[in-house]
Amino acid sequence: MGTILIVDDTLFMRTLLKNILFSGGHTIAGEAANGEEAVVKYKELKPDLVTMDVVMPKVNGIEALKAIKQLDPGARVIMCTAVGQEQMVKLAIKTGAKGYIVKPFQAPKVLEEVKNVLAS
Amino acid sequence: MKEVPLKIEHDGKWIVVKAGVGEDRISFPAPVEKEVLFKSVFDLEEKKNVLIISAKGTPDVILRIASVEKVLVILKRLILANCNAYRLMAYFMSPAIRGGVLAKDAQWEKGSIVVVKTGIWFVSATKQISIPLLDVAAIDLTKRDVQGKQTDVVRIDHVDSGEVVSSLVLCPLSTLQVLVNFLKDTTKGMDMKGNELDAVAQQVAMLVYSGMDSHAIENMLNIPHKQLDEIYDRIIQLEIAEVITIRREVQLTTKGVRYISDATKTQTN
Repeated sequence: MGTILIVDDTLFMRTLLKNILFSGGHTIAGEAANGEEAVVKYKELKPDLVTMDVVMPKVNGIEALKAIKQLDPGARVIMCTAVGQEQMVKLAIKTGAKGYIVKPFQAPKVLEEVKNVLAS
Repeated sequence: MKEVPLKIEHDGKWIVVKAGVGEDRISFPAPVEKEVLFKSVFDLEEKKNVLIISAKGTPDVILRIASVEKVLVILKRLILANCNAYRLMAYFMSPAIRGGVLAKDAQWEKGSIVVVKTGIWFVSATKQISIPLLDVAAIDLTKRDVQGKQTDVVRIDHVDSGEVVSSLVLCPLSTLQVLVNFLKDTTKGMDMKGNELDAVAQQVAMLVYSGMDSHAIENMLNIPHKQLDEIYDRIIQLEIAEVITIRREVQLTTKGVRYISDATKTQTN
């Protein structure tokens, strides 16, 4: 179980992830609606894990991942990409993402991925 | 012909026979007394450890066979290589995504894609994966990073034990287009226009997909039970969803209130 920061520009996806993660016994450290807010919240909350949407306004998920990794090289970040954006995964791996989920996702698989990344 | 022991369903009973398996046919001695040429096979299904072979004849022959995995693997290889089906050589990755999570150990495998009457088979030196056409949720021609280059691939999504599994097929673009058209044609009964549901109903469908129950959906979307029930009716009617459980909400009768009041008194005394 861990504290998790959820980053997504849509309230619907944040609420869905919050429900899934909460049902798995995790604590929601906070939420952010764009990459810029994600970096600020990461500094402030120091969560065990971040779920990061890739396509977001202002600062996108990849840029936010880079900034978080500069702040904390050990940061655990799971990227959330939509179907068809799987090529972004390669870039995210290079940048230091620990896991990847593709929207739409299913709760058991999300929890499994979170568990694996938290254990890494 | 090699003789292999296997079980076959005959007159509603499973019997053990020594079947003769050759490069192009399989034959069964009495009491079954049948010979099936692999080129006459138009369908092959696998349900648990049972192979269901359908072959042309007068009438058509349907064989249900069970055996040890080693025997079934050989039979499937021979049948899929010779049967009457749409077949193409390709690279495939299956599963590539399971439940929205990328399979990290997924690799491109060289093999063939065989489309029979009721399913798609991915066959390589080490794998024989079958996807029933009824379980296919989506077929798309998309792009994928392959060795650093954006390459056209076909993505086939299917539902396996409640999880959505994506497989990828890679071969020349013209062949991919033929495959997509063939598969779309084969599964066209499941196509929808995309405008059957309004925004809220689409969100409900997405939440059901993600595994949320009715209570969670009502809370997340802030909609009353009656509205959710109406949306359920609509998506059930469209055959997008099916009922798995009917839950009841109850309230206590006077007798129940009295029981609880008494029980509370007992606990506090």
